Formats: sequence, structure tokens, C-alpha cells
Amino acid sequence: MSLDIYEMLALSAAVVAILMLGTSHLRLNFWLYGIHTVIVALEAWWIGGLAGHTDELFLPNIFGAIGLALPQHTVEALFFGLFKGIGVPIFLGSIVDKVKVEGDTGTLLPSALSMHLAIILLGVSYLLSAQLPVLSNDADTKIGAMAAMSLVFSGMLLMLTRRLAISQILGFLVMENGIYLFALTQTHGMPMIVEMGVLLDVLVGVMITGLLLFNIKKSFEHIDVTQLTDLRD
Amino acid sequence: MTQDILILNACKWIAFIIVLFVSPPILLGLVRKTKARMQGRVGARVTQPLHDLLKLLKKGETLSSVTSWIFRSTSVINFAVMLLIAVLTPWLSFKPQVFEHEIPYYAAARAKSADVKQHLPVVDGLSAKKDAALAKDLAVSTATGVSFFDVSTTGSDIFLIVYMFALARLFTVLAALDAGSVFGGFGASREVTLALLVEPAIVLAFASLGCAAHTSDLNLIFSWTASNPIMDLAPLWFIAGFALFLASLVELSRMPVDDPTTHLELTMVHEAMILENSGRNLALVEFTHVLKMAVLLGLTGQCFLHGFYALAKFDHWLVALFSVLLLGLLSIFIGVIESATVKLRWTKIPEFIAYSVAMSLLCVFIAIGARR
Amino acid sequence: MKELLILAAIPTFLIYFSLAVPKVSITRKLTPILHWSQLGLVIWMTWSVLTGQEPRITIAPGLALDRIGAYFVVLTTAIMASCVTHADYFFEQEKTSIDESSWHLRIFYACINLFLFAMTFVFLCDNLGYLWIGIETTTLSSAPLVYFDRTKNALEASWKYLIICSVGIAFALLGTVFIFAASQHGGIGNGTLTISELILRAPALSFPLLRLGFIFCLIGYGTKAGIFPLHSWLPDAYSEAPAPASAMLSAALVNCALFGIWRVVQITQATNSHSVTFELVAALGTITVVAASLFLVRQHSFKRLWAYSSIENVGLMLVAIGLGSGGLFLLQAINHSLAKAAVFLLSGNIIQGAGTKKLHGLHGIIKSSPMWGGLLALATFAITGSPPFGSFLSEIAILTASANTNHWILAMFLVFAIALSFVAICTHVGGVLFGAPKADFNAVQPLRASIVPAALICGALVLGTVVHVDFWMKLR
Repeated sequence: MSLDIYEMLALSAAVVAILMLGTSHLRLNFWLYGIHTVIVALEAWWIGGLAGHTDELFLPNIFGAIGLALPQHTVEALFFGLFKGIGVPIFLGSIVDKVKVEGDTGTLLPSALSMHLAIILLGVSYLLSAQLPVLSNDADTKIGAMAAMSLVFSGMLLMLTRRLAISQILGFLVMENGIYLFALTQTHGMPMIVEMGVLLDVLVGVMITGLLLFNIKKSFEHIDVTQLTDLRD
Repeated sequence: MTQDILILNACKWIAFIIVLFVSPPILLGLVRKTKARMQGRVGARVTQPLHDLLKLLKKGETLSSVTSWIFRSTSVINFAVMLLIAVLTPWLSFKPQVFEHEIPYYAAARAKSADVKQHLPVVDGLSAKKDAALAKDLAVSTATGVSFFDVSTTGSDIFLIVYMFALARLFTVLAALDAGSVFGGFGASREVTLALLVEPAIVLAFASLGCAAHTSDLNLIFSWTASNPIMDLAPLWFIAGFALFLASLVELSRMPVDDPTTHLELTMVHEAMILENSGRNLALVEFTHVLKMAVLLGLTGQCFLHGFYALAKFDHWLVALFSVLLLGLLSIFIGVIESATVKLRWTKIPEFIAYSVAMSLLCVFIAIGARR
Repeated sequence: MKELLILAAIPTFLIYFSLAVPKVSITRKLTPILHWSQLGLVIWMTWSVLTGQEPRITIAPGLALDRIGAYFVVLTTAIMASCVTHADYFFEQEKTSIDESSWHLRIFYACINLFLFAMTFVFLCDNLGYLWIGIETTTLSSAPLVYFDRTKNALEASWKYLIICSVGIAFALLGTVFIFAASQHGGIGNGTLTISELILRAPALSFPLLRLGFIFCLIGYGTKAGIFPLHSWLPDAYSEAPAPASAMLSAALVNCALFGIWRVVQITQATNSHSVTFELVAALGTITVVAASLFLVRQHSFKRLWAYSSIENVGLMLVAIGLGSGGLFLLQAINHSLAKAAVFLLSGNIIQGAGTKKLHGLHGIIKSSPMWGGLLALATFAITGSPPFGSFLSEIAILTASANTNHWILAMFLVFAIALSFVAICTHVGGVLFGAPKADFNAVQPLRASIVPAALICGALVLGTVVHVDFWMKLR
């Protein structure tokens, strides 16, 4: 059982996401998330090169007389890696600075258990991915699908078992990465406009939730979502 | 055996012994030098631990009067056990010189079990397919003739090694309790707690490697021959190596689990247990510790090396060179980690160990997947 | 492409205008005028499709307008225009702390315009990917609307709204990816997200993937619409948003989400395997209706009452979609939108006048302000589906359709639930209307506040008396 590079990348992205579940230290979570997104961006670049998408995106001549012609998948991977992998952790880190929380203690499930649960879910996604039909013109995509599904599961675990609002945002972002990876490995990526639009929407969503979070801290003096229970029937 | 081969073997033996006794303290020296450099000092020379050991051997000893034979014999027993481990396990990537030829007893046992497998009772009506199923039930892999439960033929069975580590730990703990001091007591209790938590990680990591390699012998698992079934399984090697690295941080009482340079007894785990030793005893205890470091780091390095080999095949003679280099690199890396991290609060350590256990669990899954 | 630019022109201009001009009252007066002209523009542009002369207009690759979409665009723009007209009066009364809220109000108006454009975009989408982007944009642009009051409760409500809807929509994205994969396996070369093409080649698509995609899209867009287990954000968001925003969310946004479900159902419908998917959608709709009517029995807050009524109507629309009838879905949507907008705007007036949202704090409205009380009574009848209003006809049509296709159990549950909700809502509203009048009820400019709701109720009345149900049932 030897793995290609893209399978290794997908698997390592899934492992890093599982590692994210094991720590409640927020800065470490951001670092791991950044590494994990960069790995997914690398995979996007690699698979794009594999699939041979030949549409090129001509960047306009805004930097003097140099017009840059980059293959589509490089641009996509670059945007993804830069904005989601580097921009988002920096943004969230600045929010955490202002909000002044350090650790997500008191998670609903002990972090060790949630890590083990995530690994079991990795096994479950292996079984699930074995049932998907395979793209006929390419190598085995089962490992990629398995990694993507386990990313979605890890993201859901992060959202459900954490108390702080900022971990919920992280969980959502990991889920989005999982869905993106799934699209990448099963279908070689959706059309570029759609992917760019999705990225834009996710980024704007993160910004709005970040601002909301800052206001939550100002109003409630904490960002513990399990205590946001005033509105009730 | 001719004269040349005898002389060659003797030279290999002597070289091995020299490496065995000289290199582990140098690893410790590397760790300390890295820490010193990162703290802005020049630090002691890399061979300083060797000099320390030699100095300690010449010093006199103070024994507490309330101790029994346990305390006096622990250091020797541990030294013996650790030497045995160092000789048996492939921490330097080549099979130990001792067992180049199979132990006659074990070879006979293996032949006998193979014989038994040949003549499995064929109940009337059973066909060859049922035979194969029965064989599978007994967890016998007919391909290589070696099963997971076969008697190990080169003397380094996983469970033997793990239990030898446990034996050493048992005597250390007993010695600490024997001296009757408070610090020994709770150092011992903490050590046992940590061992309890980290043992699944080590056992599962090795066991998954063995499961995927269809054998329980560490020498066979880590062998560099082409017939090794897991030569290609890069993710398993890397994740197992990662798990073993984290587990060895715990076993060796390094940061972020335990600060080896602390002078506060309340925060000690390992140091508290060896407080009572002095003179020659202390020399033996220190040497045991560095030998343990060499073995664990060596095995971790071998895991990573196998992982890299699965990704990009390189020549076999480079393997030995890389093994040594990797040992040094891992020591430097430990030095970096020691300088960069803080000691975790005692209640947070299980969370750290959970990383190691989680990675071992992942190894188990990968091994199961690889065997299908 | 030029149609899209024409449709985008007024909202874009208004976004810049609202943010740039410091005096909010100008924005407040200008926006309704421009929105009504937007309505005229929309009707002029889509006239050919509305009247059935052309089956569809293709605007750009991935954007096309068909009949149902055209009706929805007109409905949405009309509702937005009415709500914005009323918002002018509403925010004039709301001037408790003027200066600091003027920046909030400008953002509010800017978001309203972005919201309008996003919703129009959704109805124009012929591409599943664009549909997703449009619906996510509506979520993002309506979150500041919920957060307008800047109180703790508003914060909590908008946080829940954003997180739950974003997660739901992430599932919808997964569903979209599955459908894309289904098209790739179905021999359409590199795969396509274009809805019309998917409908055309539906039988060739890989069915397991399509079904998985359908389920995920249903879960995802259903979260946005407010179907039963995933509705928890809805009452909070509707009750904390200011009244015009609640009206817009309830009357326009819900249609967008259901439209997304409708598109995916259209694709699955074309594969000739009705039973599996349709049972699921219709059953889910029925469960939603029953659950909502059970929730309606015990309510303590005025706006939450109407929020649960919205959930009930979402369930009804889902049943209409599940029965495969786009026309019934459209009819129910139109009736619900008109009546619900009227109800929320009136509730806003009453809450402003009484100063409390709690039901036990509101009583004797019909004596304090006969006009508002009377309109509220009429609007309640409109929303609960009693004749002579339009929702009666649409609900009867849905029941008839489910009986026609032998879904007796569904019909039974629906009848029970609708009856229960009628009784519950009328009881609560009766408590609001009758009883001793509040001493400090402050009905300012009752006439001006009643124009828009009255117009909407008249619209519902017209729909109830003039419409031929058969025409709508045959609409595809």
C-alpha cells in the first residue's frame, strides 16, 4: 500500500485536524489550523496539476508591463492558502488578543476523548468512502474522500464539544476545508468562479462572526456559548 | 568459521561495545549543549556526561541505613536490563552482533511449528479451503510462514522489550520507596501514573507495526530486507514515529512532562526517585538513563528513517549513516523542545499523553487497513 | 448580462448612498421610492416570462429566469418595497437615541439593499454553485439586520443565526458537491452545475450520489428555511430583529431558501423516481407543521408567536414542494408573504406603542387603537388560513393535492395541525386585542402606520377571491 503525494497530503491534513481536537490552547489551535489549511492548499495545487486543468487566468497588467499568466489551479491554491491559511488565523488571533482569552477550558468532552472519538470517526469515514463510486479516469480517490469526511467529522466535533465561541468558528472553518477537500478529490475541483465565491463568502462570514464575537465579549463579559441561553420559549 | 570471519566478528563486537558505551552520553551532551546555546551560553563540552560518569565511578558512596538489598541491587539490575535491551533492539539499524545466527533453540522451535502446520489434522470432509480458513483462524500467515504469535527468533519480542522496561521501572520505584524519604515516595507514585498512561501508546505503536509486518519481533519489523512487508507503508512509520517520540518524552522525563534540571523536589518525577543514589550507584543509574534515551530515540529514529525510505528509496549503506545522524538530530530536537516549552501542570500531562495515545490508535487503524 | 446590471443598479447605488450620506432621514425617504421603481423595473423586465409568452430568459451563463423565478422576484421586490416604506415610519418612532443609532441605521439600510440584490440573484440562478453563493450572501447580509438593536438578546440571536445557518449551508455545499460528482459520473464530461442541464440529463446521473446530494441540500437549505429540528435560530432571530427586518426575513428570505430546495427537487424529480425523495420532503414538511402548531400553544412573546407561524407555513410550502407542484408552492408563498409581512409590521407598531413584547403585557389593543386592532384581526385571519383570504385557498389546494395523490395520513396530520394552530393563534391574539386597554399605549400617527399593512391585507383578500386554483396547480 504505497500512497501518492496527494493522498499523503490529504491524510496529513486529516491528522493535523485531529491533533487540533486534543488541545484547548487557542493559539495552538490557530497554528494547527493554519498548517492544516496550507496543506489543503498544497493538495489543491497538486491535484490541479494532475488533472491538467489548462485554463489559465491572465492577471491584468496592474504591476507595470508584466502580465502574469498562471494556471487556474495555482491561482486557486494561492488564494486559498493565503487568505484562509494565513489571513484567517491572523485575524482570529487579533480578535483573541482583544478579547483576552487564552484557553478553552471546560470543554464538554475531555480533549483526549474527543481526539480518540475523531480517530474512530476516521475509521468510520474509511468505511463510508469505500462505498462511493470512483472516478474512472484517475487513481484511487478513496483516501482523499476518507480524509475529507474525517475533516467534516472533526469540524463537527469541534463545534459541538467546545464552549468558546471562537472554537465554533474554527470548527466551521475545518468543516469548510473538509468539504473543499472532498470536492477536490472527488471531482477535481468545482468551477473556479464557484470556488472563489465560496471562499469569499466564508471569509466575509468569518469577519462578521469575529466582529460579533468581540461585541459578545463586550456585552456578556465572556464568550462562552453554553451560557447564551437567555432567549427561550 | 574461518580465521578471517572470526577476526571480523571480533572487530564488529569491539566496535559495537565502544559505540554502546560511548554514544549514549554524547546524546545527552548534545541535548544539554543545544539547551545552553539556545539560552545564550556556551555550555559544557558535548562529551561532558562521559567525564561526569567517570568522575562518579571514582567517588565513594553513602548508603542510607534503612535501605535493604533492594536499594543496593537496583542500580545493578537496571544496568543489566538496559544493556540487554540495548543489545537486543535494533536502535542502530543493524541487527545486534550477538544474534547474527539464529539461536539454535528458537530455530528448532520454529521448524517444529512449521512442521506442525504442515500436518494439520484434516478432518474428513474438510477441503483445502477449510484448511486455509483454519490456518487463518490460528493467525498463521501461510505466505511467510511466520505468524504474529510465533516464538521470536531473534530475541527481541515486543512484549519482552516492553516488559523489560517495566522491570527496570519496577526496581527503580521499589528503590525509591525503599529509601523511605517523602520525595522518593511521591516521585515513585508519579512515575507509575505516567507509566500507566503512556504504556498503551508504546505497546500499540509497536503492536500495530508488528501486526502490519506479520511478526512480533522488533528486529524483523525494523529490518532493512526487501521481504519486510511494511517497507512501503510510509504513513504508518511516520505516525508510529511521532507517537513513539511523544511517548519517549514522557518515559525519559523530559519537558514538557518533567524538568530534568529542576531543583525543586515538588516538581520532580524522575529525579526524585534517584535522589538517594551517590557515587558508583549514581554512575550506574545515570548510565542506565542515557542508555534508555539512546534506545528510545534510536527506535524513533528508525521509524522515521523507514518512513523516509518508503517515500524515496536510498542505498542501504546510507541507512547506517542516516541512523547515526538521526540520533543526533533527535537529541538536538529534544534540546530545542526543552528550551521552547514550559513544564505542564501535573493535571495537564494526561492531555499531552493523549496525543501520543491518539497517534498510536491511528497506527492501529492504519495497520488494520494495511493488512486487509 | 445587462439584465443583471440593470437589476443591480438601484441596490448598489442605494448601498453607497446610505453609507455616504450622514443624514439618515434622506435615506429613509429615498429608499422606498427607489425600491418601488425597482419593482416597476422588475415587472417590465420579466413581463414576457410572467405572462407565459416566453418560458425562460437566459441572462448569462448560469443565470436564467423561468416563470416561477420571475414571480418570486416580483414578490420579493414588492415585499421589500412595502417593508421599507413602513420602515420609514417605524424608525421615525424608534428615535430613542438618535445620534449613535444613525450609523447603525445607515448600515441597516445598506444591508437591506445588499439583501435585496442577493435575494434577486438567488431567484435568477441557474447554477447550483451560484445558488449557494447567493443564499450564503443573504445570510451574511441579514445578520446585521438582526443585530440592529445592539442589545444582549439581539447579539445572542444574531450569533445563533449566523452560526447555525452557516453550518447548515456548509452541508448544502456538500450536497452541491455530491450532485456535481453525480454529474461527472453521469457522463457529462467535466461535470456541470447548471440546473437546466442537470434536469435535462437527470436520468443519466449517478443516482446514489444524486440522492446523497439531495439529502444534504435538503438539510442545508432547510436549516435556512427553518424546518423542524433545525429551526432553533428562527424564533430568536425574528423576535430580536426590528419589525421591518422581521417582516423581510419572514416574508422574503424563507422563500429564497425554499426556492433552493425546489430547484434541487426539480433535478431529482426529473429522474423519474418520485417516491423516495418526495416522501422525504413531504413527510419533513408535515412534521414541521405539526411541531410548529404544538409549539404555538404555549407562547409568551408576540413576535415569537409569529415566528412559529412562519415555521408552520414553511412546512406547508415544503409539503407543496414534496407533492411536486411548483404552482402550489408559489401560491402558498405569495399568500404567506403578504399576510406575514402585514402581521409583523402591525406587531411592530403595537410593540412600539405598548413598549413590551410579552403577550401578557399586551391587551386591549382594539380599544386603544381601533384601526390597528382591526387590521391585526384581519391579518390574523389571513395568516391562519381562513376564508376569504388567499391562504385559505392555497392550504385547501395543498390538502386536495395530497389527497389526490393518496397521501391520506399526511393530509390528516396537516388538517389537525392547521386547526390547532388556528385555535392557538386566535387565542393569543384574542388576548392581545381584547381586555382592558393599556393606559400608556402610545399610538402615534395611526393612519400612516396602517397604510402598508392595510394594502398587504387587501392584496391577500384579492388573492383569496379572484384566484383560480387550477391555474396555479398546473403551473410548473
